[in-house]
Amino acid sequence: MTEVVRPVARPWRRSSSGSNRARNRGSSRVGRRSSPWLIYLGLLPTFAVLAVLQYYPAISGVVHSFFDWRPGFSSPFVGLENYRTMFADDIWWRSFRNLGVIFAASVTLMWLFPFVAAELVISLRSERLQFLFRTLLIAPLAFPGVVTTLVWSFIYDPNNGVLNRALRAAGLEALAQNWVGDPRTALGALLMIGFPWIASLPFLVFLTTLQNIPNEVFEAAALDGASRLRRVFAIDLPLLTSQIRLLFFLATISVLQYGFAAYLVTGGGPDNATQVPVLRMIGVAFQGSDWGYATTLSTALFVITLVLSGVVMAIRKREARDVRSH
Amino acid sequence: MSAATSVPVRTTDLVPDQPAAEHQEATPRRRPGQLLVVLALSVLVLAGLFPYLFMIMTSLKSNEQFTASYWMPSWPLEFGNYAVAWQQIQPYFVTSVVVATLSIVGTIALASVSGFLFARYSFYGRNFLFGMIAALMMVPNISSLIPLFVLMRDLHLLNTLPVLVLPQIAGSVVLATILMRTFVQQIPQELFDAAQVDGAGGFRLFVSIMLPLSLPVIGTVALFTVISVWGEFFWPLLVITDDSLRTIPVGLSFFQGQNATNWGPLFAGYTLASVPLLLVFTFLSKWFLAGVQGGLPGTGK
Repeated sequence: MTEVVRPVARPWRRSSSGSNRARNRGSSRVGRRSSPWLIYLGLLPTFAVLAVLQYYPAISGVVHSFFDWRPGFSSPFVGLENYRTMFADDIWWRSFRNLGVIFAASVTLMWLFPFVAAELVISLRSERLQFLFRTLLIAPLAFPGVVTTLVWSFIYDPNNGVLNRALRAAGLEALAQNWVGDPRTALGALLMIGFPWIASLPFLVFLTTLQNIPNEVFEAAALDGASRLRRVFAIDLPLLTSQIRLLFFLATISVLQYGFAAYLVTGGGPDNATQVPVLRMIGVAFQGSDWGYATTLSTALFVITLVLSGVVMAIRKREARDVRSH
Repeated sequence: MSAATSVPVRTTDLVPDQPAAEHQEATPRRRPGQLLVVLALSVLVLAGLFPYLFMIMTSLKSNEQFTASYWMPSWPLEFGNYAVAWQQIQPYFVTSVVVATLSIVGTIALASVSGFLFARYSFYGRNFLFGMIAALMMVPNISSLIPLFVLMRDLHLLNTLPVLVLPQIAGSVVLATILMRTFVQQIPQELFDAAQVDGAGGFRLFVSIMLPLSLPVIGTVALFTVISVWGEFFWPLLVITDDSLRTIPVGLSFFQGQNATNWGPLFAGYTLASVPLLLVFTFLSKWFLAGVQGGLPGTGK
């Protein structure tokens, strides 16, 4: 779809009157000779907003990571001191270990359920049922994340929570516990939020991709006597690889920003069992008032994201080439 | 479990109908037991919706009813809980709606102009400037949270409406510009040519052709902005201390603290806070899905 639009030529590179050439190439261009300063004037508001609220903070964060930043007071340059602190910060490392667990869960369990659901939906033969189940499965998306999180934090309530109540009702009193208050269960409890995780981007991606597989492919497989399971591994999964690769990187980047549910449900505790980088960063800034160090942590997150985004871009570029060469 | 019990068979199917459960292997992929599939999906749907069903059910109970019949709905339904909850939620609600509205207007105003210019004009530095915007997609919001906070404090904007709206606009305008540009590029050039022949200037082209045709993408941007306002947590948490300026996500967490054992109103509040987003999704889900799927290469088509 977007490929068609590509001919937005870049002839301005060559000469200032390049727009004529753009027209000759059949490219879409309107005001060939209209005063360019009007164009820049039109772009000015957007860039002004971005400069103040996006570029400046991003750069300021990186710069201040080398200072003992005390806004409003003198902030001496400390070089790499903050970074040394970061590498020696046990809580910071702990937060990344938790992030590893969160990441592992979000690319296994939190994809397995959506995948199975997508396979089930496409095996429905009635289109009306397909629509019905798709709608019901993604319905939780329509609830604000904060509501979902707060309801789940109630589910874990030690006394009146759904989980312990259910266990008691089933005669499993012994299993009932303070799920989010116990360091051994807190992280797991946090990850279960949103179970079965079907109202999610992976589900939408899996479903659309599977629905777009031409029926002939399946018919051919059926003729060859391939079983349902065999088909999943031989056809569906291979056809999903490029989507899965992309989802993998999106998951990495979104997991890096994980924090809001942990803040609401456990506050990073107990005993840092659910500590994540974002919470650590906010804690250092707002409780510790160590602004320079906090920007160091945010710069670290920024750099990690940047590196990962670079990898995504490289892969996407390679994939785009592959697609074109077919 | 017999697969052939009550499977509805469409006449258009290529494979002829199997009469009964003689040879299920004969049609391997087509009848793995539709009933079983429906059953499995129903379980998943119920698991996914259970927290919300529980929330709505409990929102209609008094505390006595909550204790007495925890698992089952009980009568009479306590609609009064909603009145109690609304009283406390209302300021957050109003703030969120105002922030969302202002952000949408601001985002559209900026992005429609820049998207139009990027799509339809060639000028020196065009690709570089567009690249500057696209690059911002890679900057995680959370990494500029602290410098942005200090900036807002230095500008004495903490605890005001602009501190909620401006960063929201700056955040939304990035994706909005990209979407607008892509969309406007797809408008046939003939439309613009014809208007130019009739003597329309750039401004006229923008107002009379580009804007009306861009309504779908404007809708998408509005939708994403509302979702983002309803999802943003840390920023409003940190920059707002005045209770009446709290947005829904933060307000709700305070509301939760105030109603720790007031179960009915607590869940009524959660339900109320969900209504706008539910409405938006119900009426605009097509745009939302198109936006999500169009945004991923290979998923849209």
